[in-house]
Amino acid sequence: MIRNHRREVTVAYLLILPFVLTYGVLFLWPTIQMVYISFTDAPLIGPGEWIGLENYIEMFDDRRFWTAVRNTAYFVALTVVPNTLIGLAIAMMVSRLKGWQQSIILALFFLPYILPVSVVYRIWNWMFNVQFGILQYPISAIAGERINVFRTQWMFMPAVALVTIWWTCGFNILLFLAGLRSISPDIYEAAALDNANRWTIFRRITWPLIWPVTALVLTIQLILQLKIFDQVYLFVQGGRPDPSMVMVQYIYSQAFQKNQGGYAAAIAVALFVIVIAFSVLQFQVLRSRGEK
Amino acid sequence: MSDIVLKEVSKSFGAVSVLDKVSMHIASGEFIVFLGPSGCGKSTLLRMIAGLEQVTSGEIYLAGERVDQLPPNERGVAMVFQNYALYPHMTVRDNMSFGLQNVRTPKDEITRRVEDAARMLEISQLLDRKPAQLSGGQRQRVAIGRAIVRNPKAFLLDEPLSNLDAGLRVRTRLELAQLHNRIKATMIFVTHDQTEAMTLATRIVVMNNKKIEQIGTPMEVYSRPATRFVAAFVGSPAMNFIPVESVTDREGRAAFSFAGQQPVATTVPFAGLPSTGLTFGIRAEAAHIDPNGSIEATVDVVERLGERTLVYTRLADGASLVAEDKGISSVQAGDTVRIALDGHAAMAFDEAGKAYHAA
Repeated sequence: MIRNHRREVTVAYLLILPFVLTYGVLFLWPTIQMVYISFTDAPLIGPGEWIGLENYIEMFDDRRFWTAVRNTAYFVALTVVPNTLIGLAIAMMVSRLKGWQQSIILALFFLPYILPVSVVYRIWNWMFNVQFGILQYPISAIAGERINVFRTQWMFMPAVALVTIWWTCGFNILLFLAGLRSISPDIYEAAALDNANRWTIFRRITWPLIWPVTALVLTIQLILQLKIFDQVYLFVQGGRPDPSMVMVQYIYSQAFQKNQGGYAAAIAVALFVIVIAFSVLQFQVLRSRGEK
Repeated sequence: MSDIVLKEVSKSFGAVSVLDKVSMHIASGEFIVFLGPSGCGKSTLLRMIAGLEQVTSGEIYLAGERVDQLPPNERGVAMVFQNYALYPHMTVRDNMSFGLQNVRTPKDEITRRVEDAARMLEISQLLDRKPAQLSGGQRQRVAIGRAIVRNPKAFLLDEPLSNLDAGLRVRTRLELAQLHNRIKATMIFVTHDQTEAMTLATRIVVMNNKKIEQIGTPMEVYSRPATRFVAAFVGSPAMNFIPVESVTDREGRAAFSFAGQQPVATTVPFAGLPSTGLTFGIRAEAAHIDPNGSIEATVDVVERLGERTLVYTRLADGASLVAEDKGISSVQAGDTVRIALDGHAAMAFDEAGKAYHAA
């Protein structure tokens, strides 16, 4: 078939134009603006003076910035790997069920994922409530007394991580389940004839074959959890935010509470660089491991 | 040594029965082929011997030991799957070693056995590749190699040639026969392809509709089919069936009459034949175009195959009959021809499908 090459290219450009425009207006331009503002002393609204690297220099000496970085890293450590492993474990259990039983159990595990964060916050705040929270029964059974979990410094992050895992696990289960279903049942039958016990089957068959999905889930999780804001912001309400401040929360507080647009932009650029660096790095490392 | 005995083995999935009281005895070193149309239960039977499917009732013995309640790995059988079921993330060497590693075979022994098998199957140069880098035929060999290294009591092969292209299928078929001659292991091979069954089997188990129709050597199954189903399923072109109008006794032997035709004398004993509901059966190679033949028919289609010619004809009552003619045949479509039927090769079937053969 003879094709009119130039016309095809024109049509192609026309077809991607709406996306390119939206992407440019809603992502590219604001990102460039953010980087520009980070070199100024702009307030939240309106322009500021060019001050070069001053915001970045200030950031490196800012104790609260480093607290936010540490807290974010801690939260990522508490959620990303556990969430992935729990998702895989539950998916493997759900995959053993058949038919409608599987659908119902899967729906139950997926249900939290569709809740808005405010509802999640209400549910868990009630459950942890010092006076009437149902979780105070096991807590007082173990600790001997009721504990206000979200007002106890060392418990705050682990508790928010727990809630986050409960909230977001359903999606990972779904991804893992799709991955598990793509493994041919014949392979498990061959392994059964090959004298493989269940642990060997997991270690040498399921784990390596599910690895691409695991790499994907880990990367999605990492990006998502580095941007943690809502849960921490909500659960800290009424308490002292500073010790448990995470990066996005610090950006928010600098921009919207302290009216420091330029400085907040500098922190946002830092977070942006961290997210890109980590996710690209992680995905590359995970992918190459899987290919070996 | 490694004979296999099935005693009244039945299988049902819920209310649906797929195998009904199947019994057989497979001698050590036999090459048995389960032959039948799809859905006849042949694969299920194989999977039950492997332990991948539970028996609903009945007993399975392997080398004298009852195995029907044992898990697959304790039965000492190896299976080659239809789509090979190779571990996609492992190299060929690891695929073949996996089973031995799981029973803690010493490393040097694994290496020796894998390399021996690879040499036998001519896949030594492929040991470090992954299944995705192999052709269909090579994957097939790896799957067989994986079975061989375990030195099993029996090889179970589930339609292993069906995913290969025609040329490769014939070659692999020959190689499988050679392999069986060399290692002399008991093999059970499931297929719906009668050519594979005829060429490979020491005995064929013809199955249909949950039951065994016949167990016999390829030649028995071909020339003395136990039932009409076997007669129709084995052989190409399929056996001719002509409804019988009446049957008469000629010195103890049956002569069959068909609507509007001269009777055909056969060597089938008259005694024991039912008088009604009979169908006459004869293969194309026993029906020849012959000016003195007893059957008159009109030619529909002529297939010239070189060494012989197949003539598809229609009788006056509408029954179809495929006859053979010599290689250089002058018969044309539309001709009226006469066909001679060889009474020594004829058989009859009653309404239930049971066969009556020439003595």
